[in-house]
Amino acid sequence: MKLFSIYILILFSFCAHGQDAQSLLNKVVNKMEGVTDYSANVQIIADIPLIKILPSNAKIYYKKPDKFKVVSKGIAILPKQGFTDMNAFLSSRDKYMVVFAGTKNIEGVETSLLTVIANDSDSEIILIKLWVDPLQVLIMASEITTRSSGNVKIDYKYNLQAKNGLPSNIKFTVDVKEFKMPKSFSSNPHKTSKSKGNKRKTGTIKLNISNYKVNQGIANSFFVK
Amino acid sequence: MLLKNTWNELIKILAKPRSYIGFGALTLLIGVILVAMKADGKSFISFVTASFEQTLSFNGEILNGNLMAFVILQMLIIHVPLLVALVTGDLVSGEAAMGTLRMMATKPISRSAILGSKLLAGAIYTFLLTLWMAFMAYGIGQWMFGAGDLIVLNNDGLVIIPADDIMWRYFYGFGLAYLSLLAVATMSICFSVFSDNSIGPIVSTMAVIILFTIIGSLDVSSFNSLQPFLLTTHMSSWRSLFEMPVPVDDILNSIYILLFHIIGFAAISFWRFNKKDINT
Amino acid sequence: MNETVVSVKGLKKSFKAFTAVKDVSFSVQKNDVFGFLGPNGAGKSTSLRCMLSLIKADAGEIKLFGKDIKDNRSKVLSKIGSIIEKPDFYKYLSAFKNLELLARISGSTVSKSELYDILDFVGLQGREKHKFRTFSHGMKQRLGIAQALMHNPELIILDEPTTGLDPQGIVDIRNLILKLSKEQGKTVILSSHQLSEIEMIANRMVIINKGETLIEGSVHDLLNSSNMVVKFQLDDVSRGEKLLVNEFSDVNVSKASTNELEFEIEKIRIADVAECFVKNNLRIYSIEQKRKLEDYFINMIAEG
Repeated sequence: MKLFSIYILILFSFCAHGQDAQSLLNKVVNKMEGVTDYSANVQIIADIPLIKILPSNAKIYYKKPDKFKVVSKGIAILPKQGFTDMNAFLSSRDKYMVVFAGTKNIEGVETSLLTVIANDSDSEIILIKLWVDPLQVLIMASEITTRSSGNVKIDYKYNLQAKNGLPSNIKFTVDVKEFKMPKSFSSNPHKTSKSKGNKRKTGTIKLNISNYKVNQGIANSFFVK
Repeated sequence: MLLKNTWNELIKILAKPRSYIGFGALTLLIGVILVAMKADGKSFISFVTASFEQTLSFNGEILNGNLMAFVILQMLIIHVPLLVALVTGDLVSGEAAMGTLRMMATKPISRSAILGSKLLAGAIYTFLLTLWMAFMAYGIGQWMFGAGDLIVLNNDGLVIIPADDIMWRYFYGFGLAYLSLLAVATMSICFSVFSDNSIGPIVSTMAVIILFTIIGSLDVSSFNSLQPFLLTTHMSSWRSLFEMPVPVDDILNSIYILLFHIIGFAAISFWRFNKKDINT
Repeated sequence: MNETVVSVKGLKKSFKAFTAVKDVSFSVQKNDVFGFLGPNGAGKSTSLRCMLSLIKADAGEIKLFGKDIKDNRSKVLSKIGSIIEKPDFYKYLSAFKNLELLARISGSTVSKSELYDILDFVGLQGREKHKFRTFSHGMKQRLGIAQALMHNPELIILDEPTTGLDPQGIVDIRNLILKLSKEQGKTVILSSHQLSEIEMIANRMVIINKGETLIEGSVHDLLNSSNMVVKFQLDDVSRGEKLLVNEFSDVNVSKASTNELEFEIEKIRIADVAECFVKNNLRIYSIEQKRKLEDYFINMIAEG
């Protein structure tokens, strides 16, 4: 009987957590969906093996569910995954299940780890881990596992737009695996590669985002190439 | 007398139809490359960035005038030496074959002044050709494709250079390209001094460039000690200006080697020309 | 005594295994029209090339205007106009442009109008703008002379200037040279393999063969020396030879064939020989006479 009680208690707590995970995620998604569109200035600082690029500036535009545009004077490198794809995925609430997977302290904030698992076996996004601040309903960190691009880890910091769930700093950590250099006419046949040791497997892209303009009404035509 | 005869040499170069082959060829080649890139440049870009595109997205205008200038310079730097040698390889031997060297050598102008003026005129012609290449590649490229950041693929990876940090690189880059073409011009004039026919020095110059290029690119241990001193190894030194940070020591080393070649070939030319019997 | 403009002593030049000039010496005085005579391959052009520093002599001394060519090349060459071998110009340039280029390095200022004047002088008026490649051989020679004269040189060296010219062209060049010498006081060195050409214009000459100087002196003295080479065609050569030896003891018989007798004799005594033969009933079919030097030169050419 005692055992049975303990069992029921554990089952209830799982159910409670399960319901908590779903409701927490719903709160996060609702907050996300409160933003129809936004534009912002972004400074991009990329530190990727085999790529040398100075910090660059760009302007980003977003319109839900999945419209995204980068306007930059120069060349800006952004990760392929981790922007609108995650938002679009989470907005389709029937396409995944969410499980509570523990807690973690991230920079003094006690976050809940939500594991979001795609229902569709063919989905590009296989799994998302979200470390959510349950009090402010903000994603503090995430890890997206995709079919084609491997893992992307993302860390978020918030400032003025925390109420809209829009971060002021994002740090992407991407898998670079082995970028292969094509031995084409554009490589220098007279110089051998100097970086023979210390092959890093990951790279980071930091975004400092400012001057958000939220829900200004960006036309769909703006996103057409 | 040196300057007077240099003026004479320039008149002769500009009067010869062969001198315009280089300009025509560059215009045609660069024109074709620019039009092709305008039509299908995106697939070229994909080739360069393909390896990274699984994880990263490249935003912004990659296909721009700065990239065009780089691609053109990269493609043509092996072919332009022939266009230079076509004219400079003929400067002494062509006149020997024609008999006009004899006419000139009976005038009160020293052998050194005759050869010096040919070297100067050859240098000016090479400069004009380089300038035309720069205008076509950089100027027309900017006009057709606009400015933008430059994405360069080196052996160490991709380098993305901001647009406002490019012009000086091209200024010095074309300067280095000129220096390497000047070395080719001096070599062809040197061969020309040893010959009494028009075609020999031109063919010899190209043969040397092809041979040195092959030796320079072979990964054979017995050639390794030779490679750093070959003229052709340093003909691509302009590329170093498009690295971050710019390897100043490497570039200076290339400049010294190229200058050594120029001075060496010029010295051999003066020695031989002053000794030479003019029998034609 | 006239100033010595050219002095060549002991000139020697070899090309690998072949010695083109072994020992050539001569001198040219101011205002001379100096004939430099020799068969083809004698070493004339090689000697002239050495004089103009086109090629370096192996040995010998060359002084032009009293100065060694090796040490005073520019100064000396500024006073010389020359054509060595055939005149070669830039085919893709006009006659005027060709002259302009060479005038620029001639050591003196030659104005455009002076260039036009010199083209008129050599008979190329109206052809100034025509490309050199359109010129006939005669016109090319004239242009060559124009470039030799345009900077008003003191010494003019012409290497076989009448080669390939038609008879009128030859006469024109000859008259031009005489004009230069007599009217303008130029010193002219004229190389040729034709004695007749030299005889007509030169006052002094040197003959070279196989790279060596054979004889040098006044044209008049050398060609009009009293001795002649005479050939008698007789019916009885052996009797004629005996008579000659008996009656004219100082005469040397050089050739006696079946019907010809050749010997050297003073010009004024030829009639005496003819009279002797007639008196002794020898039939004379023909008498041929040549100047000794001319005969010698013709034999040289035949051997060469």
